Amino acid sequence: MPQWFARGLRRGVVTTRYPARPEPSAAFLPTPPAFRPQRLTRETADTLVRICPSRALRRAGDTLTFDAGACTACGQCRAAEPEAVVTSGEFELAATSRSALIKRIPLRGEVGR
Amino acid sequence: MTADGRSAAVQAAAEKAAAELLRQRVVSLFGRSLHIRTLDTGSCAACEQEIRLLAAPHYDLHRLGFFFTPAPRHADLLLVTGPMLRAFAVAARKTYEAMPGPKLVVATGACALGGVYQPDAFSFGSVDQLLPVDVWIPGCPPSPLALLQGLMVAVDRLASKVPDLSFRVSADPAAGGSA
Amino acid sequence: MTAVVLFGIAAAIWAVAAAVAVLAGAAGAAGLTGMTGSGIRVCCGLSVAGGALVLAGGVAALLAGDSRVVSAGGSVVVGTLQLQSSSLAGVFAVLLGIVAIGIGLYLPRSRPEAGAGTAVYLCAYSLALIASLAVLAAGGVVTFLVAWESMALLCYVLILHRPRSEQVAGGAFWFLALSEVGFVLIVAAFVILAAKTHSLQLDVIAARAHLVPADWRDTAYLLALAGFGFKAGLVPLHVWLPAAHPVAPADGSAFLSGLIVKLGVYGIALFGFRLLPDGPAWRGVVTMALGALTAAIGILYALGERDIKRFLAFSTIENIGIIVTAFGAAMTFLAYGQRALWAFLLLAGLYHVLNHGCYKTLLFLEAGVTEHATGTRDMDRLGGLARVMPRAGVIAFVGTLGIAALPPLNGFVSEWLIFQGLFQGFRTHSPLVAILIVVAAATLGLTGGLAIYAFVRGYGIPYLGMPRTRRAAEATERGQPVAGPALLAVACVALAVGAPVVLVGLSRAIRTATGVMLRPILLPGKLTVIPAHTNFSGFSPTYLTVFLLVVLVVPVLIYLAGRPRAGSVVVPVWDGGMIAFRPRMQYSAMTFSAPTRVTFDALYRPSVSVERASDDPAGRSGPVHYESQATPLFERYLYQPVVTAVEWLADFVRPLQSGDVNLYLLYVFVAVLVAYLIVAV
Repeated sequence: MPQWFARGLRRGVVTTRYPARPEPSAAFLPTPPAFRPQRLTRETADTLVRICPSRALRRAGDTLTFDAGACTACGQCRAAEPEAVVTSGEFELAATSRSALIKRIPLRGEVGR
Repeated sequence: MTADGRSAAVQAAAEKAAAELLRQRVVSLFGRSLHIRTLDTGSCAACEQEIRLLAAPHYDLHRLGFFFTPAPRHADLLLVTGPMLRAFAVAARKTYEAMPGPKLVVATGACALGGVYQPDAFSFGSVDQLLPVDVWIPGCPPSPLALLQGLMVAVDRLASKVPDLSFRVSADPAAGGSA
Repeated sequence: MTAVVLFGIAAAIWAVAAAVAVLAGAAGAAGLTGMTGSGIRVCCGLSVAGGALVLAGGVAALLAGDSRVVSAGGSVVVGTLQLQSSSLAGVFAVLLGIVAIGIGLYLPRSRPEAGAGTAVYLCAYSLALIASLAVLAAGGVVTFLVAWESMALLCYVLILHRPRSEQVAGGAFWFLALSEVGFVLIVAAFVILAAKTHSLQLDVIAARAHLVPADWRDTAYLLALAGFGFKAGLVPLHVWLPAAHPVAPADGSAFLSGLIVKLGVYGIALFGFRLLPDGPAWRGVVTMALGALTAAIGILYALGERDIKRFLAFSTIENIGIIVTAFGAAMTFLAYGQRALWAFLLLAGLYHVLNHGCYKTLLFLEAGVTEHATGTRDMDRLGGLARVMPRAGVIAFVGTLGIAALPPLNGFVSEWLIFQGLFQGFRTHSPLVAILIVVAAATLGLTGGLAIYAFVRGYGIPYLGMPRTRRAAEATERGQPVAGPALLAVACVALAVGAPVVLVGLSRAIRTATGVMLRPILLPGKLTVIPAHTNFSGFSPTYLTVFLLVVLVVPVLIYLAGRPRAGSVVVPVWDGGMIAFRPRMQYSAMTFSAPTRVTFDALYRPSVSVERASDDPAGRSGPVHYESQATPLFERYLYQPVVTAVEWLADFVRPLQSGDVNLYLLYVFVAVLVAYLIVAV
């Protein structure tokens, strides 16, 4: 018991200040992807659609629909197309309507335009 | 006709204003003290692990005025995980109806939002097939920080950020994040 | 005097009732069933009338004090019939009246198929009432003993009423056997006193008791304690109660528990307070210890019972233990000169006698109603009866509140008085005795807590919740008797709310019995009760009742007045979200009492047997048979060895009865020779 007390005094308060202050450990969280429209062609989009295990990506014509609610942040899309997909770093994703989580990404890549 | 129509419109507007006032008052009360009842409709329990961490000293949801309660009669907010298995439908419905109004429903995790499972013989696919959901929290599982933000959004203490996120980046590889 | 007259008239009425019953039975045997039905109703009506007279007589006896002895008739062989109404017996006569009225109102509707068997039963019942009255009104030893023995034999007939089965015969036999053993001890006690005081009249014996040497006095008291203890149900002499009560008809069990065991208590009180009041402290301590032990063991065994009547039988044992503890503590206080506490604890014990008689009779009659409506006595086959039988539910609830000693009902008042008397053990100024009294009080406290637990189980499992079987769901109380139990419930409430009146009456009785004027100490004001010494405690049952009513009613009124005008939503009870709540998911009687049975398993020593169809560890082999039984400690380790020893002795002596006439002539010759030698020498 005294060791824990001493340890607590040494370490200080470890409770996060979030949401009043930003939380530094949030940088290590797995987050949904962000897309570069300039690197997205129809082929790359179809690859991403096929790869995604939770069906968060769909292509309709020249628009890639990304359902942020279905995304599990597994990283398969980024591993398949590292030029077109990066991590977004966004973890504050709460939405008051389901449609706010569905994002449209235009395909602006050169090949197959 | 115009007189009736105008008075009807005025009355409708007054009622709407009164409802909004009531909602704001309720939310201001919930924002100070909110009792949360968790409901697992068939998840893998990863979301439950993250929810459990909320009460731990590092995240400590009690400092924000939120508490867990097992009794739906005492609960203000129903935190639902899992893809709403059909076998659980009766229990989920009973839990929701056992909560006295005003009440909120928060669906959390990719399963509950309809991402991972399609509706089939075993599950409804998403929570909103059965219960009216007020706030959606994505993640697999959502980290405790994401859960905290979601709960604050549910009680109007924080604004929802995600409508303004585009999940797009410019072609320049140096620029990260989404605008 | 009025009391004796009233008793006499009541006895005559009951004799007429017995005759009517015999005639009704004869008519039934002759095939005139209509006459049988009306004859039975007449008999029960006369029984109630007699009960009312006995009640009045008992109250008169309470207030008037000991009357003179009335001698009548008799012969050289039997002795004269000596009747006297004493104030001590008056209390028990009041109880007899109440019980007779309650059972008399219950009887007609409980036997719709009136046959010859019912007529015989009613005849025996009426005669048993007369015999019980004679025990209470006996002024002489012979009258007492004759009345006692007839009462025992008639109760044996009552118990045997049901269709013959081994269980019924066994239960009745236990009753008779233990009654006879007790009778031998009672006779011995009376013979000692009668021989030493040269009189057969009870008040003469009481007056001359101080002339009897102390050893003989104590021996007589101990013999009486054991002998009457057989009837009262003191541990380890109690084994007939759980054997006889389940097999007797409901009103028979009610009569046994409501009155007959109280006659055993009357006998102990007779010897302890009237005939041999002054004695050493150890006498009181032994009585008190026996009482406390009885109370604890009684309620512990009650918690292991599924049969409602066995459960109530053990509860009777517990309450008798409480009463005897009060009596024992009273005797202890007298040995240390605390006359006020002596009288007070006697009063508290007698109050508890009245209360227990009321609510135990009530509970047994309701058990009879339940058994008649559902066909079973097993708590685990019942459930939800309060919904299908609302009147029975309410009446049984009143009885349960009373027996669990919850305020504001009568059980609470009398147990509070007993506890307050026990808590003043420090006034004995002897550390050892004070500690023993505190231990007894602690045991009674344990008993009280377990009693609440037991009666939550005893009321909740059968009456509340969901029905566990179809018969419980289809039970109906149409055609069931309600007047008798309802009257007893009213009596319970009256004994509580009217506690000051009851205490005034009992104080008059105590004044005659002990010479201590309790009333100014006990009730200085009109409504507050002080337990014997003003510097200790006090409370008012009447104010408590009023207070509780206000506390319960006022919030309801406030709620009704301030309810929001908007409609509220009615939703089902929260059951954990189960799809279908099945009755089998409820507590059963045994699982509810499992914590005590685990804690006290040194007493129960359960034997568990489990049978499976195969050894499949996943349990897929089919039904599993699980049986668990508490070891009958007293039957196996006390009575069985005694029975075995007696049988061995009988076998040993058997050669004397060889049937050979020559040997018998030799016996006659030897006996005459010995007689000559004794007379000559």
